[in-house]
Amino acid sequence: MSSSPIADISNASPLETAPAVRSTDSSRATLLICLPSLGIDGLQTMQDRIGAALPGQSVVLASPDVLPDNESSTEHLRLVGYPAGPPHASWTLVASDFLTAADLAREHNASALMLLGAEADSLSSAGLQALATCILNQRVDLALPRYKTGPHDALVSSALLYPLTNALFGVGTHLPLPLDAALSLRMAERLAAAARRLGNGAQSTPLVWPAAEASVSSFVVREIEVGERTLPHPGDADLNSLLAEVAGSLFTDIEAKAPFWQRSRSSISAVQASEPVLLGSETEELAEVRAMAESFRSAYLNLQEIWSLVLPPQSLLALKKLSLAPPESFLMPPDLWARVVYDFVLAYHLRTINRGHLLGALTPLYLAWVTSHLRRSAGDAALSSRHVEETASAFSTEKPYVVARWRWPDRFNP
Amino acid sequence: MGQQIKFALLQSTHRVVVVLVRFLPGLLAFLLAVAVLALIGFLLAALIRRLLTATRFDERIKANEKISSPVNFSDWAPSHSPTLLISRVILWVCILAGVAIGISAFDASYSADTQVSLFALPYLTHLLGAILILFAGNLLARFLARSVLIGAVNAQLQYARFLSFGVKWLVLVLTAAMALDHLQIGGTVVELAFGILFGGIVLTLSLAIGLGSRDLVSRSIEKSIEKPLAVRPTEDSPATEVRETPGPKLRHF
Repeated sequence: MSSSPIADISNASPLETAPAVRSTDSSRATLLICLPSLGIDGLQTMQDRIGAALPGQSVVLASPDVLPDNESSTEHLRLVGYPAGPPHASWTLVASDFLTAADLAREHNASALMLLGAEADSLSSAGLQALATCILNQRVDLALPRYKTGPHDALVSSALLYPLTNALFGVGTHLPLPLDAALSLRMAERLAAAARRLGNGAQSTPLVWPAAEASVSSFVVREIEVGERTLPHPGDADLNSLLAEVAGSLFTDIEAKAPFWQRSRSSISAVQASEPVLLGSETEELAEVRAMAESFRSAYLNLQEIWSLVLPPQSLLALKKLSLAPPESFLMPPDLWARVVYDFVLAYHLRTINRGHLLGALTPLYLAWVTSHLRRSAGDAALSSRHVEETASAFSTEKPYVVARWRWPDRFNP
Repeated sequence: MGQQIKFALLQSTHRVVVVLVRFLPGLLAFLLAVAVLALIGFLLAALIRRLLTATRFDERIKANEKISSPVNFSDWAPSHSPTLLISRVILWVCILAGVAIGISAFDASYSADTQVSLFALPYLTHLLGAILILFAGNLLARFLARSVLIGAVNAQLQYARFLSFGVKWLVLVLTAAMALDHLQIGGTVVELAFGILFGGIVLTLSLAIGLGSRDLVSRSIEKSIEKPLAVRPTEDSPATEVRETPGPKLRHF
């Protein structure tokens, strides 16, 4: 079996060590920064912050708050509006954002781009500088930020998006669905082409998976720690519809890139499972774990008929045991979660049941992982991070399972 | 006596043969019409399939489908190929047209005074319609039952299975009543029975939901009385945060 190259991914923490962008080569290159709508004050704040973070750097700052009549220019910074109206305002970067950014980059001859999402004004100067330095000076094609988050933040990414992207595409970025991103021009073109394939023009909101695209193209990917950031709320949509939208989009991308991830082999570094922390009798976590374990028990009783269409008998048996476990010992093993997700990916591909139903049936299982996460992390950031890494490691270890079932789906117990 | 019996037998045999002779051309016309239209349908379906495959119809449909939507065109197609679905629909429409033409030819082969065709042939079409109603109703009942079950479980309702079961039987009872009405069987008895059954199921569901949600409603009213100015969940804490019990703040996205 031939092996395809995996994207060069490394995690850097340049907040303390990053030099200011003062290379003569890079200062000649134009950096396009696309902002969301922040209001006049927010735009002024970002303008000052970018000026301080990137002194001497030629920057084109595109913002929907700038009208065509108000476009201004200083020695290093040009303020421009969006030619085709503001991009789609979403809580994360969507296809139309990448399309608009690529068009603007061509128009302004930019050599690199930074796309900043909603509430980008909460990013620090150091974080902005770290992202810009990486994309301008280090021959990186895609720089994705990693924020300082709490133990109970970005749980869908920790449970599903990061482990799947890491295992299948060999890209260990903790937020594969980025809020902000820095891109080389060729990466921007690649993502614009992917966005175009998804169709529906500039007003569409399909999600694009930059890390997977970069991996398939053998581009260089780097994760940059950028400190704290306010994570935007995804609006009024509920968890079920959002999880279905995000998981469905990722599953579709996985389906489309099956020939790539079936060939590629990523290095597996097993993370030893740590003992779960005993929660105190009056902790908030224990109260939450009790309620969520009870919900899972109810979900198991009601949905086992649907799960049995998707999951093999040993997974169903493990879920049955989990549903009978008392809240104090409720723990979904990472390898069980990995197999369950892989089975759902396969059922999505085979359309075993209606896709809307399939993704709806995943929600209680995801919440079971969240319950285990609460129990394992006990509110501690280090323990939380360890549990996330254990989950990601389990996905890598179980990758042969999904490859085998993808090729021979009729063999229920490979 | 023997002569009379022989004559009666010959007469009845003659009548049966005459009926068969009248019947056979009609039957042959029926079979011929079905065979010709099936052949035309097969050719048309093959042509359409080639045309749609050449224009990448499946890919275009898939690109325009919304992933989170519960109903997608591809989900209803055999092997999830809209091209295959369309070609099969064309084939079956042609076959059904052949059956209709064949029945008409069959009908025409009888003399006007025959009462069989006046009653049996229109009833045959009604029977076909009733079978289609039953088939569609069964599909819809299964789909709705599963949708309600998953939605209710995710909304953490205790009576999810009961609700799903109720919805399934509501649709099935409605379907059965429609099919019987289409076949003109039972008359007012079916209408009355349907009304009683449908009303009974709705009342049972209402009572179950009302009694099951009593605590939930009372807690909600207590909360709104105690904290009239409390922040609504949709304002600061969207649904992506699990916030049923006091506990750590969970951010899913």
